Amino acid sequence: MSDTINTATEPIPAIAIKSLTKSFAGVQALKSAELEVRRGEVHALLGVNGSGKSTLIKVLAGFHRPDPGAEIMLGGEPHEAGSASAAHAAGLRFIHQDLGLIDTLTVEENFSLGTKSGRGWLSDRREQKRVQAILDRYEVDIDAKSLALELSPTHRSILAILRAVEDQMGSDGIVVLDEPTAALPRDEVHQLFRIIKRLKATGVTIVYVSHRMPEILEIADRVTVLRDGRTVATAEAADLTLDSLVKLVLGFDLKALSRTAADAELGDVQLSVTGLTGDVVEDFDLEARAGEVIGVTGLLGSGYEDVLGLVFGAAKPYSGSIRLGGLDVTGEDQAHRIANGLAYAPADRKHLGSMPEWSVRENLTLPDPPSHRFMGWMTKRREVAETLEWIEKMDVVPVETEKVFATLSGGNQQKVVMGRWLRMQAKAIMLDEPTNGVDASAKRAIHLALREAAANGAAVIVSSSDIEELVQVCDRVLVMGDGRIRAQLVKGELTDDALNTAVMTATAAA
Amino acid sequence: MTNDTSVDPGVDAPLAPATAGPAPASAPQKTGGSWTSKLQVNRFSGIYLWAALILLFSLWIPNLFLTNATLQGIIADQSVTIILAMGVMVALAAGQYDLSAAQVLGFAAVSTAWLISVAKVNPVLAVLITVVGCAIIGLINGLLVAVVGINSFIATLGTSSIVLALTSLLSGDRLVGPVTDSFKQIALAKFFGVPVLVAYIIVASVLVWYVLEHTPVGRRLSATGANIETARLVGVRVKKYIVVSMVISAAMASLAGVLLVARVGTVSSTIGPSYLLPAFAGVFLGTTQLKPGRFNVWGTLLALFLLATGVKGFQLAIGANWITYVFNGLALIVAVGLAVVFERRRTTKVKDTPKVKDISN
Ligand SMILES: Nc1ncnc2c1ncn2[C@@H]1O[C@H](COP(=O)(O)OP(=O)(O)OP(=O)(O)O)[C@@H](O)[C@H]1O
Ligand SMILES: [Mg+2]
Repeated sequence: MSDTINTATEPIPAIAIKSLTKSFAGVQALKSAELEVRRGEVHALLGVNGSGKSTLIKVLAGFHRPDPGAEIMLGGEPHEAGSASAAHAAGLRFIHQDLGLIDTLTVEENFSLGTKSGRGWLSDRREQKRVQAILDRYEVDIDAKSLALELSPTHRSILAILRAVEDQMGSDGIVVLDEPTAALPRDEVHQLFRIIKRLKATGVTIVYVSHRMPEILEIADRVTVLRDGRTVATAEAADLTLDSLVKLVLGFDLKALSRTAADAELGDVQLSVTGLTGDVVEDFDLEARAGEVIGVTGLLGSGYEDVLGLVFGAAKPYSGSIRLGGLDVTGEDQAHRIANGLAYAPADRKHLGSMPEWSVRENLTLPDPPSHRFMGWMTKRREVAETLEWIEKMDVVPVETEKVFATLSGGNQQKVVMGRWLRMQAKAIMLDEPTNGVDASAKRAIHLALREAAANGAAVIVSSSDIEELVQVCDRVLVMGDGRIRAQLVKGELTDDALNTAVMTATAAA
Repeated sequence: MTNDTSVDPGVDAPLAPATAGPAPASAPQKTGGSWTSKLQVNRFSGIYLWAALILLFSLWIPNLFLTNATLQGIIADQSVTIILAMGVMVALAAGQYDLSAAQVLGFAAVSTAWLISVAKVNPVLAVLITVVGCAIIGLINGLLVAVVGINSFIATLGTSSIVLALTSLLSGDRLVGPVTDSFKQIALAKFFGVPVLVAYIIVASVLVWYVLEHTPVGRRLSATGANIETARLVGVRVKKYIVVSMVISAAMASLAGVLLVARVGTVSSTIGPSYLLPAFAGVFLGTTQLKPGRFNVWGTLLALFLLATGVKGFQLAIGANWITYVFNGLALIVAVGLAVVFERRRTTKVKDTPKVKDISN
């Protein structure tokens, strides 16, 4: 840490923000917020869902114009916020969670889209060489000729970062990453960190947003915490422990999740899957009973991330049968499965999970808008009441049913989608990465809601790469490797270490 | 790297669906501050504009404009367009352009006139045959889109030409008609001085409003248009909704055609297409009104009466036909253009356009 202290003595900070306020239609997302980022450090910007992190970043990026009175200095120079070109000229680069890659273009073409050399005639061969050279320089195993959609999520993130920084960033460069790891499996994160560390080694300054606390302690030099739009603390990461960091972000102590509602009696089989086979998954069997929470995990590519979509029918399986309660739904479409008590929340909430322009209310009640039996008239009052009930339960902030979904913070969007499926009181509830991008206290609220759903007679199946989450919330966890179930850990043997080991060996065995 | 500006930077900003169909002209929202926010296309701006037009013509040509004949004329002209527009709107809400609707209207008019005046079929039966026939055209449209997977724009452009051919064959490219006087009463009857057309307008609007905006069926249909992948994953049978919306569009178009022939008595094979622009203009203008960003019935109705008032007023004042086309075209481009421009200002506020335009969409 001695070199960070050296740079700390450098007088001019890379970013210095004072009294930054931003209001949206009467709501203040930022209230005189402050941020000081030193040159060459990795600075984590933290805060619970809706605390204003993304808004602050969007102001820096020139996407939002701040309210008058804000003072923003970049490298000692006053910065005109609200202008994207000024941000770019000042050496700021942004990587947003949706990455902005075009799936149907190659890696090289995605590169050329975003860079200066896109001007005029593009020589394919020369471009390809140039891009491959950059990829090789950072020692990433990506072929410049492959399509963006063929890349793993991790490689996609890396591609987005390299594309952003490749135009020769000097040491006055600043890279801002808004939740770059939210969609990445835990075990892949280190690949991304390798790139970040290399950038840092060349003197680039990095601002990093994440809800995953262990990650922060690993990568960050300093942290700044926002709460309700205000800056409440800036601290050296070295002085923090996991517990003190969580407390700093939340503003209160989060007791480890104690299992509520002594585990329910196991009831009837709600969902049974036999011999399910898809592109990656092979011969997957599962019997899920009322009252239990089952986890599915593994390394990326093991098939754990595909299983739930296959069961739901979002992707077509090659073979296998699926029964809901006593009913065979193998050949049926999703509408039929949902009508018979299956619920599924996909991991890709951006593309598959929401109607961005619609209200929170319409998004929440989407699968089954409440209506009168007589002629199906929908009463808004009842719909509002039900929505309120669920957004309160899921801890959605603000508690507003008519807010446009897209204007919710990322974590709060996630909570609405979870609430949608829990409301359905399905026989079997399947959730892909249920707590992506939510803060520690909301994560707990979601975990409690899952246990409650199980206690009320549902079978809950969670696919996740978050080992800790699985240990806390599941009764048993299936570990996949190379498309097949390689191990099952049940309650007594379910610890972080045991599960970690099982995940690693599941692949080694394959 | 320039995608920092054009792409909504948020982790919090979901993308438009990759399979986007027609998007409503998006609605500006208040952000406060700059002068633009005060000049925004307000969700009631259509009402103000309508009032302004009425005032303008009342002052300009009071003797011609402020008459019962003008009012009746506007209602008569618009009844056909409104019924067509309601159908087109249902298809648009499900994410599909039905460009064949106006030609279906023309076909329905010719077919009804031919059945009654040439084939001497009972008028009730004539209408029934026509509506069922047109619904089948809608079914074919729907299947081409939902099952074969052709883009609705292309598919209906194609069927539109084929329907024109049918119309031309049936009419022998001559005027068809006239229909019987009793049949004409469908459109010309009045009750206590109120044209029956008013009743048709109300019934069509209320029906579509009820189903589209107040039932789960309508919610699912709109979900299909808003994000087809999400809709599928929440259990909406999207293909079914697409097919049904195309059938409704064609059926409503055929009813509009029946009404048209009852009004004018004699029709030619080329009568349909002139209704296409006003109907689409009304629906898209409607998305900027009352419930901004959504295809909605009352906004559409407001837009159509606004357009009709402008057209009628200018026709009376200037007395030339071209003004109709100019007014419809301009109104569509200006109103929707304003909404889009202000929306863009609101979300980006970037002066120089970056090289990568919205690459995420
Ligand atoms: N365009 C907008 N219109 C209205 N309100 C908005 C808009 N953008 C953000 N907000 C509100 O501002 C607040 C801060 O949101 P922001 O996205 O900055 O949170 P965040 O800290 O990034 O949270 P998360 O961790 O969930 O991503 C939230 O209450 C959000 O609803
Ligand atoms: Mg955010």
